[in-house]
Amino acid sequence: MNQRISTENLALLFQKAAGRFDSLPAFAIRKSALKWKPVSYHQIYRKGLDLATGLIELGVQQRDHVGLFGDNRFEWILSDYAVILCGAADVPRGGDVTDAELAYIIDHARIQVAFVETVKLQERILRLRGILPDLREIILLDPKGTPQEGVRRLKEVCELGARLRNQGDRRAEERIAGIRPDDLFTLIYTSGTTGQPKGVMLTHSNMISQIKNIPGDHNCNDRLLSVLPIWHIFERFMEMYTISFGGCTYYSSIQTLGEDMRNVEPTFMASAPRLWEKLHEKILKGVKASHPVRQVLFHIAYFLSRQYKVSEYFIANRNLKMSRQPWWKRLALMPFHMVRWAIVLPWYGFFNAAVLERVRLGAGGSLKATISGGGALPIHIDRFFNYVGIPVLEGYGMTETSPVISARSLDNLVVGTVGPPLPGTTIRIADPETGEILYPNDKLAYGGRSMRGEILVQGPQVMKGYYRDEELTRQTIRDGWLRTGDLGIITHNNCLKILGRCKATIVLSSGENVEPEPIEMRLQQSQFIDHCMLVGQDKKFLAALIIPALTEFREAGFAEQSVEELATNPEAHKIILREIHRMTGLSNGFKSYEQIRDFRILPEGFQIGHELTNLYKVKRHEVELKFNHVIWELFSAKSSKNI
Amino acid sequence: MEFNTQLLYAHDQALLALMIFIIMLGMGASLTVDDFRAVARKPRGVLIGFLSQFGLMPFIAFSLSIILDFHPAFAIALILIGCLPGGTTSNMFTYFSRGSVALSISMTTASTILALLMMPILLNLYTGSFTAQITASMQAEGTGAEFVIPTGNILSSLVLVLVPVAMGMFLRRKSPDWAKTAEDTAGFVAIIVILYLLGTAFIRHGGLFLQTPVEVYLGAIGIGLTGFFFGYWFSRLLGVFPLFQRAISLETGIQNGPVSFAVILLSFQEPVQSQMLWLAILYSTFIVLSSSVITLYFRNKGRFDWDVYRNTVIHNRLFGAEYVTNYPDGFLPGRLVRDPSQGTSPSQKRR
Repeated sequence: MNQRISTENLALLFQKAAGRFDSLPAFAIRKSALKWKPVSYHQIYRKGLDLATGLIELGVQQRDHVGLFGDNRFEWILSDYAVILCGAADVPRGGDVTDAELAYIIDHARIQVAFVETVKLQERILRLRGILPDLREIILLDPKGTPQEGVRRLKEVCELGARLRNQGDRRAEERIAGIRPDDLFTLIYTSGTTGQPKGVMLTHSNMISQIKNIPGDHNCNDRLLSVLPIWHIFERFMEMYTISFGGCTYYSSIQTLGEDMRNVEPTFMASAPRLWEKLHEKILKGVKASHPVRQVLFHIAYFLSRQYKVSEYFIANRNLKMSRQPWWKRLALMPFHMVRWAIVLPWYGFFNAAVLERVRLGAGGSLKATISGGGALPIHIDRFFNYVGIPVLEGYGMTETSPVISARSLDNLVVGTVGPPLPGTTIRIADPETGEILYPNDKLAYGGRSMRGEILVQGPQVMKGYYRDEELTRQTIRDGWLRTGDLGIITHNNCLKILGRCKATIVLSSGENVEPEPIEMRLQQSQFIDHCMLVGQDKKFLAALIIPALTEFREAGFAEQSVEELATNPEAHKIILREIHRMTGLSNGFKSYEQIRDFRILPEGFQIGHELTNLYKVKRHEVELKFNHVIWELFSAKSSKNI
Repeated sequence: MEFNTQLLYAHDQALLALMIFIIMLGMGASLTVDDFRAVARKPRGVLIGFLSQFGLMPFIAFSLSIILDFHPAFAIALILIGCLPGGTTSNMFTYFSRGSVALSISMTTASTILALLMMPILLNLYTGSFTAQITASMQAEGTGAEFVIPTGNILSSLVLVLVPVAMGMFLRRKSPDWAKTAEDTAGFVAIIVILYLLGTAFIRHGGLFLQTPVEVYLGAIGIGLTGFFFGYWFSRLLGVFPLFQRAISLETGIQNGPVSFAVILLSFQEPVQSQMLWLAILYSTFIVLSSSVITLYFRNKGRFDWDVYRNTVIHNRLFGAEYVTNYPDGFLPGRLVRDPSQGTSPSQKRR
């Protein structure tokens, strides 16, 4: 009974889950702190069938693409259920989608039927309708909103389907039977480097393989607290995974997270690194605000726990091994770690029970494990949670791999890595320039472990391709290997460690992907800015390194003779600040996470051959290395200037 | 074995007294008046706990003394330990063994009060033959005195021990923050002082550990383990839910060590005092170790029913008191299904 349901496709998963878990809650929707509305497996399946039948009646065909635009709410899940149950695939996107993207996606994905969450979104889509002749039906999710002419209420479609089903309509069941394993269940558009979003085609078998292969031991007593955007592949995977063992997903939000953690007492959680950073801050703040004696006790407890865990990791061979350690060194250190482990154990036991348990209670007290993904988790946060006794299972993946490629498990938890690849998944490390396979490679020392290069992936979770873009698909998946664009190495305990990106894309700690090039190009249109480079990989916000245009400043009346002098002039800073606002503000169509929150004027210009290529392209890696201290200082400042 | 020198010097005794004070203060700080009310409202669990603590435990102590053929002083000490009320240590272990902390606290509360009545009765009941032996040997030495259990002194030392408990409860009412600190500090102090006493005993009377007969070690370790075992099965036979069972088991085996120190120091004299104290120290040391092991075992064993319990509690908390969690057939093991509350949550009565 503790086993996950294993089926051929997601519609059958929903069906089997409804049969097996019946009246157990599948989802819980927050009304107030202590009032949540449960939706059982049976209910959601029945309602999903009704809506699916309604959609079929509206003309949705098997393997059609149905738009699903909006953010976290119960109706979103219901629509997702229905689209999958009628054999179609949904095309999700959050409410922050721009008009241009919306029009592009609807046209590119050939969407005829679309769900919109809010009245506002409904108005926007109606305005675009003129250029979208194929869009036949729009359905409004918000039950409190008033649909305009030509827009249907969700309830109306549900009732239509319910009526038909009462009359014996079983077309939904026929559709379920007609789903093939390589049919799409979703088509997720992600922002592309070339400006236009690209549609990632994920199949039923992609997701089913994830459910099957992910490490973890859960059953219907488990509670998942969810704060991720509902349309994000990470969240969708967590949702499907939770359904497979009969757990309940409780939808929370960033604002109410602390309270919800204590009330729901989740047994597991999944989130982007940003949330763990916030939680870390909160715990430390709580410690600082507590009684002085308790503060001292906390620090003793944390110290002991660190000593204990470091030795434990060493003895269990789970310490991070970036390079080969000679056996005699391990042998020499072993007695020290064993003695330390044994001496610390009773003290750790006591302080763990008396002090650290209180810290864990702040997070509900029932967390068996937490999962971090969607960006690199800073190592000190990673260590903090593991030492405090909340194991963090960091995973690695991307939308194109639906999404998990590798993940730490409880019995193979090497802090600092993203764990071994999932069963059935193979990883290669290749030289980004020459394409030479560095791992696995018998000719290299240790089979190619600790060689850095681009990560290539092969496995059942790799996408079918980019929708209607064979060229891009060919570039991304070569000879059956998906090029991730990430740099990594395989450690000597066979775990993957991520080092950075080959591509320019900046992934903020909130999980948002920022393509720096368009923003940089826009900034460089300013007469005062010669060159610039955006930074912020795994950070909370985006920042810019600026090379000012000296000649322009001199013409504007500045007396400085060099960029270095200019960098210290507060007036010059004001001008750059104004320019950043003018060029890349919200009014210019840049999204809020694409806003530059801070900047530094670099003391010297970029030179060809060093920081610039012959074609004046910035070599990001070089700049990052050379101005490492500037970037470090930029992000270690307590608060951004918030420009 | 005989003690040639005094086991504790004056400053050790002062330290011990301070430790007893701090620990009992910490214990009081963890209690509220509501805990006493809870006992009055739901007496069943506490009643079973009472039978187990004051019925089983003294008898186990008595039987062990007979079986292991104890020296009378050790026998009296062991029986005294068997008659003690529970302490806060058991509450912490119950928490980590996924047992019912509420029941553990209720039992500690009730037994601490009831000890005033039960301890003198039980001591007189079980120690009769041993006091007679001591009297006989004293008379053989020619001191001519008669050895009796100092019931009056025991009572007054028990009352004395309750003073810091009351102070702790008062502290909790006034400042919960300080009370929490007192609670944490108490556990820490207890470990330090016990280690200190063991350490000094080791340095001053290194031979003591070797001199101590094996059966004394067996008694000091065995009384806790036997208590756990019988507490567990006794409550299981009475059809108690698993998480209450774990609480009763731990509460039965873990006694309030500091109270035994207070009683021995304040009520008994040499030649028996040092020997009694030595056994109490050994018991207090080994009970921490054996409780840790048992707790780890319970924690693993109780994982599933605890998960079911928490899940149903949270369902009732968030979905309303009327909500009933229906697990799929075959998910719950027979024992939890037959349980009238289905999975130990008293709030979920099945019709």
